[in-house]
Amino acid sequence: MKPRWAGLLLLIAVIGVLALLPMLVNNYWLRIATGALMWAGLACSWNILGGYAGYINFGHSAFFGLGAYVTALLMGDKLAWPFFATVPAGMVVTALFAIIIGAPTLRLRGAYFAIATWAFAEVLIQFASVMDFTGGIGGIGLPPFLDERFFYFAMFAAAALTYLITWALFERSRFGLKVKALRDHELAAEAMGINTSLVKLQTFVLSAVTASVFGAIFAYWVTFINPKSVFGGDITDQMVVMVLLGGLGSLWGPALGGVGLFVVNRLIWMYWGDTAFYIAILGAAIVLVVLFMPNGIASLFSRRAAKSGAVLDKAVGKLVGDDQGGPN
Amino acid sequence: MDLFLQTLLNGLLIGGVIATFTIGFQLAFGVLHVIDFAVGGWVVLGGYLGYYMAAGLGVDGFLAIPIAFVLFGAIGYLIGPILYNVRNSRTARPELMALALTFGLFTLLRGGMLTAWGFNTHSVPTALSGESLAVGPLTVPLVRVAAAVFAVAIAGGLFVFLYRTRYGLAIRATAESRQNAALMGVNIRRLSANVYGLYAGITAMAGVLMGAIFSVNPEVGLRYTLFAFFVAVLAGLGSVGGALVAALLLGVIEAFVATYVGSSYSLLAIFATLFLVLLVSPRGILRHGL
Repeated sequence: MKPRWAGLLLLIAVIGVLALLPMLVNNYWLRIATGALMWAGLACSWNILGGYAGYINFGHSAFFGLGAYVTALLMGDKLAWPFFATVPAGMVVTALFAIIIGAPTLRLRGAYFAIATWAFAEVLIQFASVMDFTGGIGGIGLPPFLDERFFYFAMFAAAALTYLITWALFERSRFGLKVKALRDHELAAEAMGINTSLVKLQTFVLSAVTASVFGAIFAYWVTFINPKSVFGGDITDQMVVMVLLGGLGSLWGPALGGVGLFVVNRLIWMYWGDTAFYIAILGAAIVLVVLFMPNGIASLFSRRAAKSGAVLDKAVGKLVGDDQGGPN
Repeated sequence: MDLFLQTLLNGLLIGGVIATFTIGFQLAFGVLHVIDFAVGGWVVLGGYLGYYMAAGLGVDGFLAIPIAFVLFGAIGYLIGPILYNVRNSRTARPELMALALTFGLFTLLRGGMLTAWGFNTHSVPTALSGESLAVGPLTVPLVRVAAAVFAVAIAGGLFVFLYRTRYGLAIRATAESRQNAALMGVNIRRLSANVYGLYAGITAMAGVLMGAIFSVNPEVGLRYTLFAFFVAVLAGLGSVGGALVAALLLGVIEAFVATYVGSSYSLLAIFATLFLVLLVSPRGILRHGL
């Protein structure tokens, strides 16, 4: 029982510190904390599909950007919606797109899905760059609202909700068991009566919708967006690295990876400015993690999780003869 | 009508060059079961090799082609076994890990090239640059003709190798069923390294040609990765014959959009087509996919 209590106390302490943070630090550090919360939340959002369902999404920035653009367009001079009304609108639009992309491609091998999502994000960049109503490459501005505390608490609430939903759905419910079952062996899961296509689609929509919420807050926060800044591939790259670094399919791994990498990003930015070298570091980080730490940082803390995965894989491999595996 | 024919010809010539590296891409997928995001990175590296050989050593850009094959073939031969190990490891989800690895490799190459060589665009100078050939009402830049001839030679050589040699038979057998190929005595691990090396070498050669026809900068790698994916989706992943048809189609689509709609729309058109094909007929319109 002891580790459980320790974990709960740690969680309460972290929430307490986060809630009091705006009173403890100046605006500069508060902005960095807001960014760290956003990335921790985005990493979790990517992990919902990538980690729990085992489908890699290389175009997650599409949903982040959709949330941002819907908010930016609705809050513009013509419509002037209030911010909180634009968030659900962005969620609905994102969910629709997720269904359109996911329904046909989630039935296939993960590779097709990865290509489709990647292509979708690139279509949106190109589309937003050539259309007039999105402001083209120049982008669009939003009515400025300069209250750092509001954005800090908005990101905090969004991130906390994302983690809470992920915990409740994927660690504590039948739905989570279904998702993990189809990830570990899709055929077996289907034989158990799980409607795998539907479950995958639901997971994908959830993952997309959470990303759109962060996009909406981000757009309002920075008050100016353009196609590269919200749809750009670098955003997806960063999410992928954060999750791989933290631990694919673990609840807290993405938070560790997200906050850790974001702080590294800010440090590099402070000392060297906006540099292409960071892209190389991201790439090297992905390669190194895949080669030497495939279960991420989180696996260092819980050996049980890392081991049980390997054992299960071996058992499954023996049962079905694993036609992909070949001789080792 | 002349414009139409001219566009068609341009598209087919470019499509021929695209075909060389997409055939290799399909082959690598068939044998390794890995989607290689890094394909665009190899194309760009080949282009830079051509540029630096021409600008630094003062030799003709086309001379870089065999060197690109040897150099990047060797690099690919070293990377192949790593990919094979990750793809066949006993960790959870090796397929995703291999995908993430090539994605990381691509990001590393792009970031490294941006850091080393900056955002500037270079063109690979050759003896034929600026010359053109008149065929009736049509004019064709000689570089494109030469590139298409090279491409046809490479693709033809590859097909002969695949369908007329014992080793080609082993490669095709492995792509069809690894387990059975292994039972017949094929060393899958070594074959994977060879195929990845062959593919990386061919892709870098195509990169020299692309650099001579268009130009090269670190960001265009994304475009070539997209081309490879487009062809893979249209032809069906792993289909080598379909790749040739799909690559020619891609070249023609791009040329027509660039001529009649505007070149800023060509990427949008390609993505949209790719996307529609995935939605309507996800296993490829040629239906040969794995």
